[in-house]
Amino acid sequence: MDKLKEDKIIADLLPQEFGKQGRIWVICLLFFAALGVFAYGRQLYYGLEVTAMRDYASWGIYISNFVFFVAISLVGSLITAVLRLTNVKWSTPLTRIAEIIAVSAITFASLIIIVDMGRPERFYNLFLHGRLQSPIIWDVIVITTYFFISLLLLYFPLLPDLKIMIGFKERNGKWLQKLYEFLGSFWKNTKAQFKITDKAINILAIAIIPVAFSIHTVTSWLFATTYRPGWDSTNFGAYFISGAFLVGAGGVVVAMYIFRTHYKLEKYITNDHFDRMGKVLVLLALLYLYFNFNEFLVPAFKMKKSEEEHLLGLFTGEFAPIFWFAIFTSMFIPIFILLFKKGRRPLPAFIAGILVVVGSWFKRFLIVTPTLLHPFLPMHDVPANYHHYIPTWEEWAIAGGSLAGALLVITFFARIFPIIPIHETIIETESLENEKHF
Amino acid sequence: MPHFLMAQAVEKNTLVLGVKYYNDNNAAQHLVISAKSKIDGKFQKIGNIAVKVFITNDSNKNNFIGAGITSERGEFILFIPPSAKTEWVKSPTQNFIAISAANKLYEEARAETTITKAKIKIDTADGKIVNAKLFIKVDTSWQPMAGVEMVLAVKRLDGNLNISETATYTSDSAGAISGEFKRDSLPGDQKGNLILVANIIDNDVYGNVAAEIMVPWGKPLVYTTNYNHRSLFARRGHSPIWLELLAYGIILLVWAVIIYLGFQIRNIIKLGLD
Amino acid sequence: MSQNTRRDFIASSLVAGVTLAGCATKNPFTAEEIPDVKPSGEMVKLLSVDGEIIEVDKAFLKPVPALPASMNTIEREGIAGKKFAMVIDLSRCKSVKKCQTACNHMHHIHPGQNWIKVYPMQDAEHTAPYWQPTTCMHCDEPPCVKVCPVDATFKRKDGIVLIDSDRCIGCRFCMAACPYSSRVFNWEEPKIEKEIADKPYSCETSVPQKVGTVGKCDFCPDMVRQGNLPHCVSACPNGVFFFGDILEDTVTNGSETFRFSELIKDKAGYRLMEDLGTKPSVYYLPPVNRNFPFENKVESVVEEKKA
Ligand code: SF4
Ligand code: SF4
Repeated sequence: MDKLKEDKIIADLLPQEFGKQGRIWVICLLFFAALGVFAYGRQLYYGLEVTAMRDYASWGIYISNFVFFVAISLVGSLITAVLRLTNVKWSTPLTRIAEIIAVSAITFASLIIIVDMGRPERFYNLFLHGRLQSPIIWDVIVITTYFFISLLLLYFPLLPDLKIMIGFKERNGKWLQKLYEFLGSFWKNTKAQFKITDKAINILAIAIIPVAFSIHTVTSWLFATTYRPGWDSTNFGAYFISGAFLVGAGGVVVAMYIFRTHYKLEKYITNDHFDRMGKVLVLLALLYLYFNFNEFLVPAFKMKKSEEEHLLGLFTGEFAPIFWFAIFTSMFIPIFILLFKKGRRPLPAFIAGILVVVGSWFKRFLIVTPTLLHPFLPMHDVPANYHHYIPTWEEWAIAGGSLAGALLVITFFARIFPIIPIHETIIETESLENEKHF
Repeated sequence: MPHFLMAQAVEKNTLVLGVKYYNDNNAAQHLVISAKSKIDGKFQKIGNIAVKVFITNDSNKNNFIGAGITSERGEFILFIPPSAKTEWVKSPTQNFIAISAANKLYEEARAETTITKAKIKIDTADGKIVNAKLFIKVDTSWQPMAGVEMVLAVKRLDGNLNISETATYTSDSAGAISGEFKRDSLPGDQKGNLILVANIIDNDVYGNVAAEIMVPWGKPLVYTTNYNHRSLFARRGHSPIWLELLAYGIILLVWAVIIYLGFQIRNIIKLGLD
Repeated sequence: MSQNTRRDFIASSLVAGVTLAGCATKNPFTAEEIPDVKPSGEMVKLLSVDGEIIEVDKAFLKPVPALPASMNTIEREGIAGKKFAMVIDLSRCKSVKKCQTACNHMHHIHPGQNWIKVYPMQDAEHTAPYWQPTTCMHCDEPPCVKVCPVDATFKRKDGIVLIDSDRCIGCRFCMAACPYSSRVFNWEEPKIEKEIADKPYSCETSVPQKVGTVGKCDFCPDMVRQGNLPHCVSACPNGVFFFGDILEDTVTNGSETFRFSELIKDKAGYRLMEDLGTKPSVYYLPPVNRNFPFENKVESVVEEKKA
């Protein structure tokens, strides 16, 4: 491939400074994150009293947000590992987007779980007194592991790109240059080095799959290891993982669209990508739908007394509006949109992606709260406000702040590093061209 | 201002004190002092009341035998100290007086109880028969007492279990009662010993008098506990072996990979620096 | 203490040795020795009924006037040789709620929250309504303990499930795990007098409650150590609650004492949600032969007032 073309790719894919839009975006995110921090300050000062959680609804949107983050972080393994191992080539430009979503989501998952703790300053007790029998400890272990594996999976493919970045000393400025050099000055593009990274990436791609499955399975066990109606299910791990793949893929589609339009990457994130991701999304939505049928239809068929209240609350009762909203936005409508070829063009796919993500967030809410409000023994001998759960502004601010924080991490990452792997794109274009020649 | 002053003059509640006499095994004699008051039409136990206790009468300073403060449950225990001896040996009946001074919330209060000295002898006979005899002090000698209601029971935590269906026994002219032990295979201690009690409960004249005896009529207790067993609900370090193997195995495996990859980064760096 | 008793004791241990030999049962668990009460060495002078002055070791004085504050490690282990249980007689409960008041008062529970709840129950349309007080069931396979990440809630030798509020991280997993809804959380700084808030925390008294940690019925091990019944048991005017040591096979409500196994057999005692396999230590006697009406005094009004 000629040098000109290569330069063009590099120029296209280099990270760019924030434009006006970018700045407004960042300022908005910073504002929401700051609001979240402020609200958390209040929570630290007054205790969990500032939330609407009470003895029955003892977990609220913090935990659903946590589950959401863990779910969306699973996408790293889907795009990078699953597609790589099955030799799917078209996913290359999406890997880094997926990986950074994974890293930032898993980071904020751990932060939000600390936010949920009544005594966050005793966090060290988890290490001092940790009991291996508790699913929370399992979660701590697998989340840490997943975080490091994701980080490595982000890092290895970044090395050749770092070398390219280091070449643009002027453009980078002092700080970034230092950062790049710190991270990758030793990369010399030698064969031996490539051999190591290729191998490492393959190992990671394999290792990340079981770990990714465990983070979400273990997260589902936080619920499934209890007796409560709606949680007491052997189906839960698979149900959670299928849902996680769905929301993760939806998140990637959304991110793809935003990066593509904002950085003008139409040549690299093509319509074809949206078409294929759209199909993946339909597949995953159908899969999730299948598990939902299992989760709700089977107990509804029996209508055990303990389950009845819970299920009716979802189908026709207090939570029915959110329930049907979540079911339709996260599954039926996206499936409907994406089944059509026209629906898989960037904009409609983007909209479908947003629907999936929003719907899935509420789906997580429905997994956590309604169950807690339908205990085995009726709610009794408590103040009236213990019977309901309507999150307070502090909870919304903190949950929103954590989402904004996750987006900030992604945004800054894209500002500093090429969001589409430059080196791999060059290689792939090359091999494509070679194919054409023959 | 006068308004304010009037508000200050809160009406004080009446405090009701109680004194109960206990004689365990003819040795450890003690008093239980209690305090209660009617609040919102119901009697409630009152804690934190300082009470002074006297023997015979409270006019003589030497008769002071102790003081205490009622607990949150509105009572305290006072063992009768050796200093009460001079008064104690004087007469077969004794007076105990409890007095509390007025405080911010309560008027001063006073309670008195009079008891006649009594003791019980307990013994057993063949066929798991429990015999007990009640003696009371008449002048300077112990005389058997008839017509007093007594209980024969097995001593248990917080309460005594009657030795049979018969709830109470009344002493005959020899002061004696007798009952058959019918609690077959009731768990005793590790040797199968049970402690039997013969007692008078809340008697107007004698207070609470009890005597104990240990008998081997119980089923020996084989004490087992799964406290040190490995289980999912055991404490840290006591998780089931399968769980430990599984968990540590997985952790080791995965982290070995991560550490291996860390070394690979080092190799890359080395290659780059060469 | 008297001569008489000592002689009998020696005689009796011989008999006991014979009985013991004939009773070698197979047991899945290792049998343990129960440690004897050791003399403290501190002697107390007392006056006997005969007017003699006697010396008694403080450790053998029962009831012990004041117990030294236990250490956390001892509190975590519990009392060896005991296995506590409760029997709640539903046929006597009129929802007087004295148990609840006493419990709330003694444990300084946050206003509005309750460790003891008295549920109006009606299992089906045509079945009779009844009152069902619930405490912590002190399950023998406690799901709450299974899930606690830091040993902040734990199962003791004596069967009691306790909470260490000095260790609890406030994750509330145990609340989700408990099927009996017996756990409450201190969402805000507990509203208690300074004097009580300043007390050193003890797992056995559960006082003072601490913000950001869980709380629940503790079976009052502090009371039991002093030879007293739990607060709810002694507070109930109808004698609904019976408490005792299952290894002694005896339960008492203060005025009546029953042989536990007989009581459960005669009255067909049962436990709540047996199907979950939690193995509660609290037994219920069915609400039969009640000679009082079931009056649900507009529960909602009461609850609104609290809110
Ligand atoms: S009743 Fe609930 S809190 Fe009590 S031991 Fe059982 S599971 Fe734990
Ligand atoms: S809230 Fe406290 S006691 Fe309950 S599981 Fe968490 S750390 Fe353990």
